[in-house]
Amino acid sequence: MAVSPELVFSVLMGLLLLVVAGWLTRLEDWQAYTPVGGGGYGESTGHGHEEKPAGLTRWLTTVDHKDLGILYSLFGIVAFAWGGITAMLMRVELTTPGMDFLASFGGVGLYNALLTTHGITMLFLFAAPLIFGFANYMVPLLVDADDMAFPRINAIAFWILPFATILMWAGFFLPLVGIDIQAAKTSWTLYTPLSSTMQGTGVDVFLLGFHLSGFSTTMGAINFIATIVAERDSVNVPWSKLDIFSWTILTQGGLILFAFPILTAAVTMLLLDRNFGTMFFAGEGGGAMLWQHLFWFFGHPEVYILVLPPMGLVSLILPKFAGRKLFGFKFIVYSTLAIGILSFGVWAHHMFTTGMNPRLTASFMAISLAIGIPSAVKVFNWITTLWNGKLRMTAPMLFSVGFVQNFIIGGVTGVFLAAVPFDLVMQDTYYVVGHFHFIVFGAIGFALFAAMYYWFPIMTGRMYDRRLALWHFWLSIIGGNVTFIAMLILGYGGMPRRYATYLPKFMTWHAVATVGAFIMTFGVVAFVWNIWQSALYGKRVDSGDPWNLKQSDQFSNEWKWYEGKRQTMLADGGEEDADDAERNAAD
Amino acid sequence: MATEESEDHGHFLPAVRDWPRGYGEASWWPFVTAIGLLVVYTGASLYVIGRGTDLVSSSVGLGAFVAGWAVTILGMFGWIYQAFVVDFWDRGSHNGGASLRLGMLLFLGTDIATFGAGFAYYFFIRTGGWHTEYLPESGILTSVLVINTVLLVFSSFTIHWAEGHLQKGNHQRFVQGLLVTLLCGIVFIGGQIYEYYEFIVHEGFTLTSGVFASGFFGLTGIHGIHVSFGALLLAILLVRGLRGHYDADRHVSVTTVSWYWHFVDAIWLFLVAVVYIGSVFGTEFSPF
Ligand code: HEM
Ligand SMILES: [Cu+2]
Repeated sequence: MAVSPELVFSVLMGLLLLVVAGWLTRLEDWQAYTPVGGGGYGESTGHGHEEKPAGLTRWLTTVDHKDLGILYSLFGIVAFAWGGITAMLMRVELTTPGMDFLASFGGVGLYNALLTTHGITMLFLFAAPLIFGFANYMVPLLVDADDMAFPRINAIAFWILPFATILMWAGFFLPLVGIDIQAAKTSWTLYTPLSSTMQGTGVDVFLLGFHLSGFSTTMGAINFIATIVAERDSVNVPWSKLDIFSWTILTQGGLILFAFPILTAAVTMLLLDRNFGTMFFAGEGGGAMLWQHLFWFFGHPEVYILVLPPMGLVSLILPKFAGRKLFGFKFIVYSTLAIGILSFGVWAHHMFTTGMNPRLTASFMAISLAIGIPSAVKVFNWITTLWNGKLRMTAPMLFSVGFVQNFIIGGVTGVFLAAVPFDLVMQDTYYVVGHFHFIVFGAIGFALFAAMYYWFPIMTGRMYDRRLALWHFWLSIIGGNVTFIAMLILGYGGMPRRYATYLPKFMTWHAVATVGAFIMTFGVVAFVWNIWQSALYGKRVDSGDPWNLKQSDQFSNEWKWYEGKRQTMLADGGEEDADDAERNAAD
Repeated sequence: MATEESEDHGHFLPAVRDWPRGYGEASWWPFVTAIGLLVVYTGASLYVIGRGTDLVSSSVGLGAFVAGWAVTILGMFGWIYQAFVVDFWDRGSHNGGASLRLGMLLFLGTDIATFGAGFAYYFFIRTGGWHTEYLPESGILTSVLVINTVLLVFSSFTIHWAEGHLQKGNHQRFVQGLLVTLLCGIVFIGGQIYEYYEFIVHEGFTLTSGVFASGFFGLTGIHGIHVSFGALLLAILLVRGLRGHYDADRHVSVTTVSWYWHFVDAIWLFLVAVVYIGSVFGTEFSPF
């Protein structure tokens, strides 16, 4: 029967949507979650005006940057779960040298598929969307704009993302209903000829989803730049007073503008090669080298697309809990811009071992070493901001300090890799994996956690559980360092990356890495549980300044907005109290 | 598109007249557009699955692909209609169109990168081992190419001319200018299709004819898609112009579309220079 699987495919899609929709409508009656920012009270009870419809319709139709910020964040956390589960499956397999744990589910093939989806998910579906979530919510408030420049494009950009994700993950869930399309096993770098010749339509389905997701990112970037440049209230927030997070989002936008279309175009060519007999990456055409050039011309800016806004977050949060202004604000802005420009000139440091012209490798090495300088400038600025400050070790502060620690290790290992002779030895070993995990988890992840805790009161009107947040922090910093230092050591020992099995001599450090990974997992569980529970039942915030920022004269725009919002809410009626009484009774 | 100012607790509401009615910050159109895109990409996936396996027939995929585009375009029309077209004269212009103009410039920036990747491929093979056998037998420089190039350059002047008349307050001339521009665009697309037809059917020079063919069809194809999209935008301008929209002060979309059109024109000239002419001249000797 040729008809049934295709029916299953489309029915499945439809069902998935229906189930989610049905579940959400339920959710609405079950727990009336109303983020303060989302127009707050009155929208469902009708205080004279209604800005948004009620229930599910409100979330599907919203063009409000604050609602979309929340949706982006929720999406990011779901993706984080998938990225985390796949990582743990790999780590468990790697505890012992042979192929055992995954053997009965698909063995090495499954391992490679997990590796691919883990990398892609964490970079494109967790980190980037979560950054966009915070930026959506906060940037318009920080620059005193009414909304994003293009509210409807903002909504399109968001909705594309979960839809693209369905296709990107399809290779994993379709086999469950008997349609085996083979998940992509190309690794996130999608090197040709592997990716252009790999069997299985799952690769194509994945590539199509990936292609679609690129539009979302690009639309978002255009929107952020237009918001910061053209919607900013130029009287209250002139360029000289623009906050550091918005600066980094602006720079990020500029990088996305030129990096992502290259990726999208390269993926298009790859799809054409796979399905329509073109020769873009065939041996006679561009070959493997052209793919690598295009990919890394996108790929290196991509790592700064991911790290600059977290740097901005930490630069924004650290001073708040050090009771001092950010040291050398201007230098941080300039170094951000410098990194943004330089990051387009270093891509070939990912290709030192491909047999490129040595004169070229030397110049790429020079620029790569140079890009370390503005990064180091920032590190010194953060440290001097802390120096002699009145430090308050709240959860956002702990994560910011943890960021600096991890970024130092990640950055220094990166500078080593940028040196050609060192890279020739370390390329394709766990040393590289250790390097970028210190950055992508240790720095980017930590900054996003810091931001989550810092703005939690604004986004939910409630406070997170401090004790759980401390658990989250200590488990993450200990687990993270154990795992990633073990990886660096494995790399020194010569353990190659991207293998499901290995020589017995590597077992000790692999076991250590797995233990560290479990420690991190407990931290992440504490985080997700905390966010979920506190958003619904947490203690309500009782002032517009929960962090006492007025004291050190750092009461910034988003908090001013929040305070104003609270005042209108109180004036609108005392539902909050009734609501709370009900909640407390239920506790 | 943030055009409607409506003060409410000092908060600005971007979607006052929209579907669903009666709210300030709700619109179904973005969701509809995104669903359309989901169907487009799912359709493409089914098509590929259909070709690679016997799980589906690939015509199902093609059907979904086309249907998806219909939904996407419907969603975009709904959005454009409700954000810009309805009560065009009653609403004020939001920040003088600064966001929209910047948005178009940024979009063109992304387009430079998109074309950049395609040209990177072409330069890569052109500077490598290059053979004249890569080209179609009867040559690549045809009279269609000349006519098309003249048309596109001419249309850049006509749209400029139309804009000038709008500034001077001559609405009728403005509409005429748009019409001529649109016609040039349509004839260009027709010429392109004719050229493809000649190459594919009579010359046997197709997408799979080798490394030059990949670059040639890739670059001219993506450019053709851009011209088609531009023609769609011009058609929208024209319909709105006929309904009396735009004057010397309110014409942001005319400005942005004309930038787009000039950009597509410039890309074409570059493409003609390096892909058409550059593939023929200098083929006997290679500096590399
Ligand atoms: C201090 C600046 C940095 C320098 C000099 C640097 C240098 C390098 C080099 C030379 C490599 C290639 C190693 C190899 O494959 O042999 C590399 C890999 C990598 N770096 Fe960095 N890096 C820096 C910062 C960052 C940042 C900020 C991020 C992330 C946001 C990052 C993410 C990555 C990733 C993901 C890879 C691995 C790519 C792959 O899959 O092969 N790096 N880095
Ligand atoms: Cu790099």
